[in-house]
Amino acid sequence: MIWQLDLIILTLIILCAFATISVQDLLSAAIIFGAYSFLMCLLWTEMGSVDVGFTEAAVGAGVGTVFCIAAVFQTTRKVKVDHQMNPSKFIGLLAASFIGIVLLIAQGDFPAWADPDSPASRYLSPHFITNTIAETSVPNIVTSVLADYRGFDTMFETAVIFAAGVAVFAILRRGRGKEENDQAVAAGTEDVNQDLIIQWICRQLVPFMQLFALYVVAHGHHSPGGGFQGGVILGASFILLQLTYDLKTVLQRMSERWNVLLGNLGVFIYAGIGLLCLVLGANFLDYSVLSKILPATSPIMARSHGMLGIEIGVAIAVMAIMIGIYTNLSSHGDHEQGL
Amino acid sequence: MNDFFLAVGIGLCLLITLTLYRVILGPTVIDRIMGVNIIGTKTTILLIVIGIIYRRVDMFVDIALAYALLNFITTIAASRYFQRHKNLSPLGFGFRYKKEAGK
Repeated sequence: MIWQLDLIILTLIILCAFATISVQDLLSAAIIFGAYSFLMCLLWTEMGSVDVGFTEAAVGAGVGTVFCIAAVFQTTRKVKVDHQMNPSKFIGLLAASFIGIVLLIAQGDFPAWADPDSPASRYLSPHFITNTIAETSVPNIVTSVLADYRGFDTMFETAVIFAAGVAVFAILRRGRGKEENDQAVAAGTEDVNQDLIIQWICRQLVPFMQLFALYVVAHGHHSPGGGFQGGVILGASFILLQLTYDLKTVLQRMSERWNVLLGNLGVFIYAGIGLLCLVLGANFLDYSVLSKILPATSPIMARSHGMLGIEIGVAIAVMAIMIGIYTNLSSHGDHEQGL
Repeated sequence: MNDFFLAVGIGLCLLITLTLYRVILGPTVIDRIMGVNIIGTKTTILLIVIGIIYRRVDMFVDIALAYALLNFITTIAASRYFQRHKNLSPLGFGFRYKKEAGK
């Protein structure tokens, strides 16, 4: 921890948070929230949790703000403000300040930052720190905890993202009626002029983004990163294509059918590897038993390979769902014209 | 040497503060978009500086690369928004809602 940087970044974060909730324009709020995300990523990396910082970097810069802008684009920028102070608001303010004061008093009892005697770092952490390499041969402890020691948890996190994607489909996706169809054909003729320079540069950049995403997925064992971050960067590359070209170009390359199929496939790969372990006679998601079917692999290396397998599954699912959410949000569910 | 990089980091943080002034109080949304873009650029460098202070640049360079690759997507999305909605600063947006609405 570098306290000088800590102090400045925390102050700026609080300023950003207040500005986000008090500004009367939803587009500005989304953009200030982008700055908040940058500062949050700085704070986390500065405290040494690089994996969390990486997730914030990928989600905050790649998709989070873009989702907000797409939602504002399809709805409205206006905030309905009620300047009268009615009793229910007053009670809410009172309750919020009371809970805030209680939390502030309670945080005095917390252990100091990185205290080796705190309960959290006495019980399980020493086991992970001393035994991870011997048990799984993965140098990045975070990856091994996330994908192996608590793989069950991560599987349901992936399922939650999948559920979010399905919910967006269920709420927003709609076909077009006949009248709307005629309108859309008429509207489709007016072409929004795209800038040649931006198009060309983004077209050159997208392959490198995807290559970097694959590196993040595959190298998650040794450096920060993994399935979630890689999947978000892959999804962001497709979102960039949608922004600089149009929705049709991307739907030609990644049709809705494929998109849904890939989202399912990713979760299926994760759960399938778990089930495979069960079939081979071990517990669910106990990868060491995979050494029976992987040639020339010790049980320890099998755990490492099993983690790579589920990271790939997570990346595919997250990528497909990010593309699906953006496509539906930006085109209001009819997949005709995006942002 | 560590002191030098710490000073660089604090300097970058102060520059972020100056940019954040424009982001929070900027009269139009365009000011805010530019400000966030600049904060993203400074974040990229600051991440590397923190990595040097911790002597683990290899851990931080990936995050900085991700920012370098993804930083401009938000800017492009916001610009596309204004390609469709031409009104840059409609009345009644900003912190001084009541005053502007009363004009």
